[in-house]
Amino acid sequence: MKEKLIYTLGLAAAIYLVRNLYVMLLQLPDEAAQGPIYRIFYFHLPGYFTAAFCFLFSAIFSAVYLVTKKWKWDSMAAALTEIGLPFAIMNLVTGMIWGRIIWGIWWTWDPRLTAALISALIYAGYLMLRNAIPDPTERAKNSAVVAIFAFTSVIFTYKSNEWFRTQHPAPVLTIRTGGGTIDPAMEWMLLHNTLALLMFAGVLLFVRWRMEEQRREIESLRRESLSY
Amino acid sequence: MIRHALVIASKDLRSELRTKESLNSALSLTIVLLLLFSFAFDPASEDVKQWAGGLLWLVYSFAAILIITRGFARELSNDCLEALRASPVPGSALFLGKAFASFLILLGVELISLPVFGIFYNVNPASKPLPLIAALVLATWGVTVIGTVFGAVTVNLHLRELMLPVLIYPMMIPALMAAIELTSASINQVEPEMIWYRLLIGFNIIFTALSVALVDIVLVD
Amino acid sequence: MDERNFTYMFYGLSAAWLIIVLYVITLVSRGQKLKQEVETLKRLVKDRIN
Repeated sequence: MKEKLIYTLGLAAAIYLVRNLYVMLLQLPDEAAQGPIYRIFYFHLPGYFTAAFCFLFSAIFSAVYLVTKKWKWDSMAAALTEIGLPFAIMNLVTGMIWGRIIWGIWWTWDPRLTAALISALIYAGYLMLRNAIPDPTERAKNSAVVAIFAFTSVIFTYKSNEWFRTQHPAPVLTIRTGGGTIDPAMEWMLLHNTLALLMFAGVLLFVRWRMEEQRREIESLRRESLSY
Repeated sequence: MIRHALVIASKDLRSELRTKESLNSALSLTIVLLLLFSFAFDPASEDVKQWAGGLLWLVYSFAAILIITRGFARELSNDCLEALRASPVPGSALFLGKAFASFLILLGVELISLPVFGIFYNVNPASKPLPLIAALVLATWGVTVIGTVFGAVTVNLHLRELMLPVLIYPMMIPALMAAIELTSASINQVEPEMIWYRLLIGFNIIFTALSVALVDIVLVD
Repeated sequence: MDERNFTYMFYGLSAAWLIIVLYVITLVSRGQKLKQEVETLKRLVKDRIN
Protein backbone atom coordinates (compact mmCIF):
# COMPACT_ATOMS: atom_id res chain seq x y z
CA MET A 1 0.00 0.00 0.00
CA LYS A 2 2.65 2.44 1.13
CA GLU A 3 4.80 1.36 -1.76
CA LYS A 4 2.08 1.98 -4.32
CA LEU A 5 1.60 5.45 -2.91
CA ILE A 6 5.32 6.15 -3.20
CA TYR A 7 5.55 4.89 -6.76
CA THR A 8 2.55 7.01 -7.71
CA LEU A 9 4.26 10.01 -6.15
CA GLY A 10 7.41 9.16 -8.09
CA LEU A 11 5.49 8.97 -11.35
CA ALA A 12 3.74 12.25 -10.59
CA ALA A 13 7.09 13.90 -9.83
CA ALA A 14 8.53 12.62 -13.12
CA ILE A 15 5.57 13.93 -15.15
CA TYR A 16 5.72 17.22 -13.27
CA LEU A 17 9.44 17.60 -14.00
CA VAL A 18 8.92 16.90 -17.70
CA ARG A 19 6.07 19.41 -17.79
CA ASN A 20 8.30 21.98 -16.09
CA LEU A 21 11.06 21.35 -18.59
CA TYR A 22 8.59 21.84 -21.43
CA VAL A 23 7.36 25.14 -20.02
CA MET A 24 10.78 26.52 -19.15
CA LEU A 25 12.38 25.57 -22.46
CA LEU A 26 9.60 26.24 -24.93
CA GLN A 27 7.17 28.69 -23.38
CA LEU A 28 9.17 31.07 -21.20
CA PRO A 29 11.26 33.66 -23.04
CA ASP A 30 15.01 34.15 -22.61
CA GLU A 31 16.06 36.50 -19.87
CA ALA A 32 16.84 39.98 -21.22
CA ALA A 33 20.34 40.38 -19.81
CA GLN A 34 21.56 36.80 -19.54
CA GLY A 35 20.00 34.95 -22.46
CA PRO A 36 19.03 31.29 -22.37
CA ILE A 37 21.62 30.41 -19.69
CA TYR A 38 19.37 31.85 -16.98
CA ARG A 39 17.28 28.65 -17.13
CA ILE A 40 19.98 26.94 -15.11
CA PHE A 41 18.56 28.94 -12.24
CA TYR A 42 15.41 26.79 -12.38
CA PHE A 43 17.53 23.95 -11.05
CA HIS A 44 20.11 25.97 -9.13
CA LEU A 45 17.73 27.51 -6.60
CA PRO A 46 15.23 24.60 -6.30
CA GLY A 47 18.22 22.29 -5.82
CA TYR A 48 19.45 24.43 -2.96
CA PHE A 49 15.98 24.68 -1.43
CA THR A 50 15.55 20.93 -1.56
CA ALA A 51 18.96 20.38 0.04
CA ALA A 52 18.31 23.00 2.73
CA PHE A 53 14.92 21.47 3.43
CA CYS A 54 16.49 18.02 3.82
CA PHE A 55 19.23 19.37 6.08
CA LEU A 56 16.75 21.31 8.20
CA PHE A 57 14.65 18.23 8.82
CA SER A 58 17.74 16.14 9.37
CA ALA A 59 18.69 18.50 12.22
CA ILE A 60 15.14 18.50 13.59
CA PHE A 61 14.81 14.71 13.48
CA SER A 62 18.25 14.36 15.05
CA ALA A 63 17.05 16.50 17.95
CA VAL A 64 13.87 14.41 18.13
CA TYR A 65 16.01 11.27 18.23
CA LEU A 66 18.07 12.68 21.10
CA VAL A 67 14.88 13.35 23.05
CA THR A 68 12.90 10.18 22.24
CA LYS A 69 15.75 7.71 21.46
CA LYS A 70 13.57 6.05 18.80
CA TRP A 71 15.52 4.44 15.97
CA LYS A 72 13.20 5.62 13.22
CA TRP A 73 14.18 9.26 13.77
CA ASP A 74 17.83 8.39 13.46
CA SER A 75 17.14 6.52 10.20
CA MET A 76 15.15 9.49 8.95
CA ALA A 77 17.95 11.94 9.77
CA ALA A 78 20.51 9.76 8.02
CA ALA A 79 18.32 9.32 4.94
CA LEU A 80 17.55 13.06 4.77
CA THR A 81 21.22 14.03 4.89
CA GLU A 82 22.13 11.60 2.18
CA ILE A 83 19.29 12.76 -0.07
CA GLY A 84 20.20 16.39 0.56
CA LEU A 85 23.79 15.98 -0.56
CA PRO A 86 23.19 15.27 -4.30
CA PHE A 87 20.83 18.26 -4.41
CA ALA A 88 23.50 20.43 -2.80
CA ILE A 89 25.96 19.19 -5.41
CA MET A 90 23.40 19.95 -8.11
CA ASN A 91 23.24 23.49 -6.76
CA LEU A 92 27.02 23.85 -6.81
CA VAL A 93 27.54 22.34 -10.26
CA THR A 94 24.75 24.27 -11.99
CA GLY A 95 26.06 27.43 -10.33
CA MET A 96 29.55 26.76 -11.68
CA ILE A 97 28.26 26.27 -15.23
CA TRP A 98 26.27 29.48 -14.99
CA GLY A 99 29.31 31.31 -13.62
CA ARG A 100 31.44 30.14 -16.54
CA ILE A 101 29.20 32.11 -18.90
CA ILE A 102 28.17 35.09 -16.81
CA TRP A 103 31.36 35.65 -14.79
CA GLY A 104 33.76 33.97 -17.20
CA ILE A 105 35.11 31.69 -14.47
CA TRP A 106 34.02 28.36 -13.05
CA TRP A 107 34.58 29.23 -9.45
CA THR A 108 35.25 32.30 -7.37
CA TRP A 109 36.01 32.41 -3.65
CA ASP A 110 32.94 34.42 -2.92
CA PRO A 111 31.52 34.01 0.64
CA ARG A 112 28.32 32.44 -0.60
CA LEU A 113 30.04 29.90 -2.83
CA THR A 114 32.57 29.12 -0.15
CA ALA A 115 29.86 28.67 2.47
CA ALA A 116 27.86 26.35 0.20
CA LEU A 117 30.95 24.25 -0.46
CA ILE A 118 31.80 24.09 3.26
CA SER A 119 28.26 22.98 3.97
CA ALA A 120 28.47 20.14 1.42
CA LEU A 121 31.83 19.05 2.87
CA ILE A 122 30.44 19.00 6.41
CA TYR A 123 27.53 16.81 5.40
CA ALA A 124 29.88 14.50 3.52
CA GLY A 125 31.82 14.30 6.79
CA TYR A 126 28.61 13.41 8.62
CA LEU A 127 28.00 10.48 6.26
CA MET A 128 31.59 9.31 6.67
CA LEU A 129 31.21 9.51 10.44
CA ARG A 130 28.11 7.32 10.31
CA ASN A 131 30.05 4.67 8.43
CA ALA A 132 32.93 4.86 10.88
CA ILE A 133 30.95 4.13 14.08
CA PRO A 134 30.14 0.44 14.45
CA ASP A 135 27.97 0.62 17.57
CA PRO A 136 24.36 1.63 16.63
CA THR A 137 23.57 3.59 19.81
CA GLU A 138 26.83 5.48 19.72
CA ARG A 139 26.40 6.12 16.00
CA ALA A 140 22.89 7.48 16.40
CA LYS A 141 23.63 9.88 19.23
CA ASN A 142 26.99 11.13 17.97
CA SER A 143 25.81 11.70 14.44
CA ALA A 144 22.69 13.44 15.77
CA VAL A 145 24.94 15.92 17.57
CA VAL A 146 27.00 16.42 14.41
CA ALA A 147 23.83 16.98 12.34
CA ILE A 148 22.76 19.79 14.66
CA PHE A 149 26.20 21.39 14.44
CA ALA A 150 26.25 20.95 10.68
CA PHE A 151 23.01 22.84 10.21
CA THR A 152 24.72 26.07 11.32
CA SER A 153 26.59 25.92 8.00
CA VAL A 154 23.28 26.00 6.09
CA ILE A 155 22.20 29.10 8.02
CA PHE A 156 25.61 30.61 7.34
CA THR A 157 25.20 29.98 3.61
CA TYR A 158 21.70 31.43 3.60
CA LYS A 159 22.73 34.58 5.45
CA SER A 160 26.15 35.00 3.82
CA ASN A 161 25.07 37.43 1.15
CA GLU A 162 23.51 39.70 3.73
CA TRP A 163 26.60 39.67 5.93
CA PHE A 164 29.28 40.02 3.28
CA ARG A 165 29.72 41.80 0.00
CA THR A 166 29.30 39.05 -2.51
CA GLN A 167 29.44 38.54 -6.21
CA HIS A 168 26.59 36.09 -5.95
CA PRO A 169 23.29 37.58 -7.24
CA ALA A 170 20.92 38.94 -4.58
CA PRO A 171 17.74 37.08 -3.65
CA VAL A 172 14.91 37.38 -6.17
CA LEU A 173 11.93 35.64 -4.60
CA THR A 174 9.09 37.91 -3.51
CA ILE A 175 9.19 36.63 0.07
CA ARG A 176 12.73 38.01 0.41
CA THR A 177 12.57 41.14 -1.70
CA GLY A 178 8.97 42.26 -1.41
CA GLY A 179 8.44 41.78 -5.13
CA GLY A 180 9.31 43.61 -8.31
CA THR A 181 12.68 42.02 -9.10
CA ILE A 182 11.42 38.98 -10.97
CA ASP A 183 8.80 38.34 -13.61
CA PRO A 184 5.83 36.51 -12.01
CA ALA A 185 5.86 33.80 -14.70
CA MET A 186 9.50 33.09 -13.94
CA GLU A 187 8.91 33.09 -10.21
CA TRP A 188 6.07 30.60 -10.65
CA MET A 189 8.38 28.39 -12.67
CA LEU A 190 10.88 28.45 -9.80
CA LEU A 191 8.22 27.44 -7.31
CA HIS A 192 6.90 24.71 -9.60
CA ASN A 193 10.31 23.21 -10.04
CA THR A 194 11.05 23.46 -6.31
CA LEU A 195 7.90 21.50 -5.64
CA ALA A 196 8.79 18.94 -8.31
CA LEU A 197 12.26 18.40 -6.86
CA LEU A 198 10.82 18.17 -3.34
CA MET A 199 8.38 15.49 -4.50
CA PHE A 200 11.21 13.63 -6.12
CA ALA A 201 13.31 13.96 -2.96
CA GLY A 202 10.36 12.56 -1.01
CA VAL A 203 10.38 9.40 -3.12
CA LEU A 204 14.15 9.02 -2.75
CA LEU A 205 13.77 9.64 0.96
CA PHE A 206 11.34 6.77 1.34
CA VAL A 207 13.64 4.40 -0.57
CA ARG A 208 16.69 5.48 1.39
CA TRP A 209 14.88 5.31 4.71
CA ARG A 210 13.80 1.74 4.05
CA MET A 211 17.42 0.88 3.27
CA GLU A 212 18.51 2.33 6.60
CA GLU A 213 15.92 0.17 8.37
CA GLN A 214 17.16 -2.82 6.39
CA ARG A 215 20.69 -2.07 7.51
CA ARG A 216 19.50 -2.08 11.10
CA GLU A 217 17.87 -5.44 10.48
CA ILE A 218 21.16 -6.76 9.10
CA GLU A 219 22.97 -5.57 12.19
CA SER A 220 20.55 -7.31 14.51
CA LEU A 221 20.57 -10.48 12.36
CA ARG A 222 24.36 -10.49 12.55
CA ARG A 223 24.27 -10.29 16.32
CA GLU A 224 21.65 -13.00 16.38
CA SER A 225 23.62 -15.32 14.11
CA LEU A 226 26.67 -14.84 16.28
CA SER A 227 24.80 -15.62 19.47
CA TYR A 228 24.04 -19.24 18.56
CA MET B 1 30.29 23.65 37.12
CA ILE B 2 32.96 26.33 36.68
CA ARG B 3 34.85 24.87 39.65
CA HIS B 4 34.73 21.37 38.15
CA ALA B 5 35.87 22.75 34.81
CA LEU B 6 38.82 24.50 36.42
CA VAL B 7 39.83 21.29 38.21
CA ILE B 8 39.82 19.41 34.90
CA ALA B 9 41.69 22.20 33.14
CA SER B 10 44.40 22.40 35.80
CA LYS B 11 44.73 18.59 35.77
CA ASP B 12 45.22 18.61 31.99
CA LEU B 13 47.63 21.53 32.11
CA ARG B 14 49.68 19.93 34.87
CA SER B 15 50.02 16.65 33.01
CA GLU B 16 50.85 18.56 29.84
CA LEU B 17 53.53 20.62 31.56
CA ARG B 18 55.08 17.46 33.03
CA THR B 19 55.28 15.55 29.77
CA LYS B 20 55.16 18.47 27.29
CA GLU B 21 54.10 15.93 24.67
CA SER B 22 51.65 17.99 22.61
CA LEU B 23 53.40 21.28 23.37
CA ASN B 24 56.70 20.05 21.94
CA SER B 25 55.23 18.28 18.94
CA ALA B 26 52.92 21.21 18.06
CA LEU B 27 55.77 23.70 18.40
CA SER B 28 58.16 21.74 16.24
CA LEU B 29 55.37 21.18 13.69
CA THR B 30 54.69 24.92 13.43
CA ILE B 31 58.37 25.66 12.90
CA VAL B 32 58.71 22.93 10.27
CA LEU B 33 55.59 24.14 8.48
CA LEU B 34 56.77 27.75 8.50
CA LEU B 35 60.00 26.50 6.96
CA LEU B 36 58.19 24.38 4.35
CA PHE B 37 55.84 27.16 3.33
CA SER B 38 58.83 29.41 2.66
CA PHE B 39 59.60 27.14 -0.32
CA ALA B 40 56.05 27.31 -1.64
CA PHE B 41 55.67 31.07 -1.19
CA ASP B 42 58.61 33.38 -1.65
CA PRO B 43 59.10 35.30 1.63
CA ALA B 44 61.18 37.91 -0.18
CA SER B 45 58.44 38.82 -2.64
CA GLU B 46 56.61 42.13 -2.65
CA ASP B 47 53.17 40.77 -1.86
CA VAL B 48 54.20 38.81 1.22
CA LYS B 49 51.88 40.99 3.30
CA GLN B 50 48.92 39.82 1.22
CA TRP B 51 49.16 36.14 2.09
CA ALA B 52 51.24 36.00 5.28
CA GLY B 53 48.16 36.13 7.53
CA GLY B 54 46.53 33.23 5.77
CA LEU B 55 49.71 31.20 5.93
CA LEU B 56 50.06 31.84 9.66
CA TRP B 57 46.56 30.56 10.40
CA LEU B 58 47.04 27.54 8.18
CA VAL B 59 50.05 26.65 10.32
CA TYR B 60 48.09 27.31 13.52
CA SER B 61 45.20 25.14 12.37
CA PHE B 62 47.59 22.21 11.89
CA ALA B 63 49.01 22.78 15.36
CA ALA B 64 45.44 22.93 16.69
CA ILE B 65 44.64 19.48 15.30
CA LEU B 66 47.66 17.99 17.08
CA ILE B 67 46.72 19.53 20.41
CA ILE B 68 43.00 18.86 20.14
CA THR B 69 43.38 15.21 19.21
CA ARG B 70 45.30 14.78 22.45
CA GLY B 71 42.54 16.42 24.53
CA PHE B 72 40.27 13.41 24.91
CA ALA B 73 42.65 10.77 23.59
CA ARG B 74 44.84 11.54 26.61
CA GLU B 75 42.20 9.85 28.76
CA LEU B 76 41.97 6.66 26.72
CA SER B 77 44.89 4.85 28.33
CA ASN B 78 44.04 3.11 31.62
CA ASP B 79 40.32 3.76 30.96
CA CYS B 80 40.59 7.23 32.48
CA LEU B 81 37.68 8.41 30.33
CA GLU B 82 35.38 5.81 31.90
CA ALA B 83 36.50 6.96 35.35
CA LEU B 84 35.79 10.58 34.43
CA ARG B 85 32.37 9.64 33.08
CA ALA B 86 31.57 7.83 36.31
CA SER B 87 32.78 10.76 38.43
CA PRO B 88 30.32 13.45 39.59
CA VAL B 89 31.85 15.94 37.14
CA PRO B 90 29.14 16.79 34.57
CA GLY B 91 30.00 16.27 30.92
CA SER B 92 29.75 19.96 30.14
CA ALA B 93 32.28 20.81 32.87
CA LEU B 94 34.59 18.09 31.58
CA PHE B 95 34.25 19.59 28.11
CA LEU B 96 34.84 23.18 29.25
CA GLY B 97 37.87 22.16 31.31
CA LYS B 98 39.41 20.24 28.43
CA ALA B 99 38.66 23.04 25.98
CA PHE B 100 40.20 25.62 28.29
CA ALA B 101 43.37 23.57 28.77
CA SER B 102 43.73 23.01 25.01
CA PHE B 103 43.04 26.71 24.48
CA LEU B 104 45.90 27.74 26.77
CA ILE B 105 48.30 25.21 25.24
CA LEU B 106 47.43 26.27 21.69
CA LEU B 107 47.66 29.95 22.61
CA GLY B 108 51.10 29.29 24.10
CA VAL B 109 52.26 27.59 20.90
CA GLU B 110 50.88 30.48 18.84
CA LEU B 111 52.56 33.14 20.95
CA ILE B 112 55.92 31.37 20.84
CA SER B 113 55.81 30.83 17.07
CA LEU B 114 54.50 34.32 16.24
CA PRO B 115 57.93 36.03 16.45
CA VAL B 116 59.48 33.16 14.47
CA PHE B 117 56.89 33.79 11.78
CA GLY B 118 57.64 37.52 11.86
CA ILE B 119 61.36 36.91 11.43
CA PHE B 120 61.06 34.22 8.73
CA TYR B 121 58.63 36.18 6.59
CA ASN B 122 59.92 39.65 7.36
CA VAL B 123 56.57 41.06 8.48
CA ASN B 124 55.44 42.59 11.75
CA PRO B 125 52.25 40.75 12.72
CA ALA B 126 51.69 43.07 15.69
CA SER B 127 51.66 46.38 13.80
CA LYS B 128 48.09 46.84 14.94
CA PRO B 129 47.73 45.00 18.25
CA LEU B 130 43.93 45.03 18.69
CA PRO B 131 42.91 42.95 15.65
CA LEU B 132 45.81 40.58 16.24
CA ILE B 133 44.89 40.01 19.89
CA ALA B 134 41.23 39.58 18.97
CA ALA B 135 42.19 37.05 16.31
CA LEU B 136 44.51 35.14 18.62
CA VAL B 137 42.18 34.96 21.60
CA LEU B 138 38.78 34.60 19.91
CA ALA B 139 39.72 32.40 16.97
CA THR B 140 41.85 30.13 19.14
CA TRP B 141 38.91 29.67 21.49
CA GLY B 142 36.54 29.01 18.59
CA VAL B 143 38.89 26.48 17.07
CA THR B 144 39.44 24.66 20.36
CA VAL B 145 35.71 24.54 21.13
CA ILE B 146 34.94 22.96 17.75
CA GLY B 147 37.91 20.65 18.04
CA THR B 148 37.15 19.54 21.58
CA VAL B 149 33.49 18.81 20.98
CA PHE B 150 34.25 16.82 17.83
CA GLY B 151 37.09 15.16 19.73
CA ALA B 152 34.45 13.95 22.17
CA VAL B 153 32.28 12.71 19.31
CA THR B 154 35.11 10.71 17.75
CA VAL B 155 36.98 9.61 20.89
CA ASN B 156 35.85 5.97 20.75
CA LEU B 157 36.53 5.48 17.04
CA HIS B 158 39.31 3.41 15.57
CA LEU B 159 39.48 5.92 12.76
CA ARG B 160 39.68 8.84 15.19
CA GLU B 161 42.74 10.49 13.65
CA LEU B 162 41.21 10.22 10.19
CA MET B 163 37.70 11.39 11.02
CA LEU B 164 38.59 14.36 13.22
CA PRO B 165 40.23 16.56 10.55
CA VAL B 166 37.50 15.71 8.02
CA LEU B 167 34.87 16.93 10.46
CA ILE B 168 36.49 19.92 12.09
CA TYR B 169 38.33 21.70 9.28
CA PRO B 170 35.14 22.66 7.41
CA MET B 171 33.42 23.56 10.69
CA MET B 172 36.11 26.00 11.77
CA ILE B 173 36.56 27.76 8.42
CA PRO B 174 34.45 30.82 9.43
CA ALA B 175 36.64 31.38 12.49
CA LEU B 176 39.83 30.89 10.49
CA MET B 177 38.52 33.21 7.76
CA ALA B 178 37.91 35.99 10.29
CA ALA B 179 41.25 35.38 12.01
CA ILE B 180 43.07 35.58 8.68
CA GLU B 181 41.37 38.87 7.80
CA LEU B 182 42.12 40.39 11.22
CA THR B 183 45.76 39.24 11.18
CA SER B 184 46.22 40.54 7.63
CA ALA B 185 44.76 43.87 8.73
CA SER B 186 47.31 43.99 11.53
CA ILE B 187 50.18 43.09 9.20
CA ASN B 188 49.08 45.69 6.65
CA GLN B 189 48.36 48.30 9.31
CA VAL B 190 44.82 48.92 8.15
CA GLU B 191 41.59 49.03 10.12
CA PRO B 192 39.75 45.69 9.67
CA GLU B 193 36.06 45.59 8.84
CA MET B 194 33.75 45.18 11.84
CA ILE B 195 32.10 42.11 10.28
CA TRP B 196 35.14 39.97 11.13
CA TYR B 197 34.99 40.81 14.84
CA ARG B 198 31.27 40.14 14.83
CA LEU B 199 31.72 36.89 12.95
CA LEU B 200 34.28 35.66 15.51
CA ILE B 201 32.20 36.67 18.52
CA GLY B 202 29.05 35.15 17.05
CA PHE B 203 30.89 31.97 16.13
CA ASN B 204 32.25 31.61 19.66
CA ILE B 205 28.94 32.27 21.38
CA ILE B 206 26.94 29.93 19.15
CA PHE B 207 29.35 27.03 19.19
CA THR B 208 30.25 27.31 22.87
CA ALA B 209 26.56 27.27 23.77
CA LEU B 210 25.75 24.39 21.39
CA SER B 211 28.69 22.39 22.65
CA VAL B 212 27.88 22.88 26.33
CA ALA B 213 24.27 21.93 25.62
CA LEU B 214 25.02 18.82 23.57
CA VAL B 215 28.27 17.42 24.94
CA ASP B 216 26.54 15.74 27.89
CA ILE B 217 24.66 13.54 25.43
CA VAL B 218 27.89 12.50 23.75
CA LEU B 219 29.88 11.83 26.90
CA VAL B 220 27.23 10.41 29.20
CA ASP B 221 24.80 7.85 27.83
CA MET C 1 22.81 35.75 -27.52
CA ASP C 2 25.72 33.66 -28.71
CA GLU C 3 25.97 29.96 -29.32
CA ARG C 4 27.99 29.24 -26.18
CA ASN C 5 25.33 30.68 -23.93
CA PHE C 6 22.82 28.20 -25.29
CA THR C 7 25.21 25.23 -25.16
CA TYR C 8 26.08 25.93 -21.54
CA MET C 9 22.39 26.11 -20.63
CA PHE C 10 22.13 22.65 -22.11
CA TYR C 11 25.19 21.50 -20.11
CA GLY C 12 23.74 22.95 -16.93
CA LEU C 13 20.39 21.23 -17.24
CA SER C 14 21.99 17.92 -18.20
CA ALA C 15 24.41 18.16 -15.27
CA ALA C 16 21.52 18.72 -12.87
CA TRP C 17 19.76 15.62 -14.17
CA LEU C 18 22.91 13.57 -14.44
CA ILE C 19 23.75 14.08 -10.77
CA ILE C 20 20.31 12.91 -9.70
CA VAL C 21 20.36 9.93 -12.08
CA LEU C 22 23.80 8.87 -10.86
CA TYR C 23 22.63 9.11 -7.28
CA VAL C 24 19.53 7.03 -8.01
CA ILE C 25 21.68 4.37 -9.68
CA THR C 26 23.98 4.09 -6.66
CA LEU C 27 20.93 4.06 -4.41
CA VAL C 28 19.30 1.19 -6.27
CA SER C 29 22.49 -0.86 -6.46
CA ARG C 30 23.13 -0.38 -2.75
CA GLY C 31 19.53 -1.33 -2.04
CA GLN C 32 19.88 -4.57 -3.98
CA LYS C 33 23.08 -5.44 -2.16
CA LEU C 34 21.36 -4.84 1.16
CA LYS C 35 18.40 -6.99 0.17
CA GLN C 36 20.71 -9.85 -0.75
CA GLU C 37 22.56 -9.49 2.52
CA VAL C 38 19.34 -9.61 4.52
CA GLU C 39 18.28 -12.80 2.73
CA THR C 40 21.64 -14.50 3.24
CA LEU C 41 21.66 -13.62 6.91
CA LYS C 42 18.08 -14.77 7.39
CA ARG C 43 18.94 -18.11 5.83
CA LEU C 44 22.04 -18.32 8.01
CA VAL C 45 20.04 -17.70 11.17
CA LYS C 46 17.40 -20.24 10.16
CA ASP C 47 20.09 -22.86 9.49
CA ARG C 48 21.64 -22.25 12.85
CA ILE C 49 18.32 -22.65 14.62
CA ASN C 50 17.50 -25.94 12.86
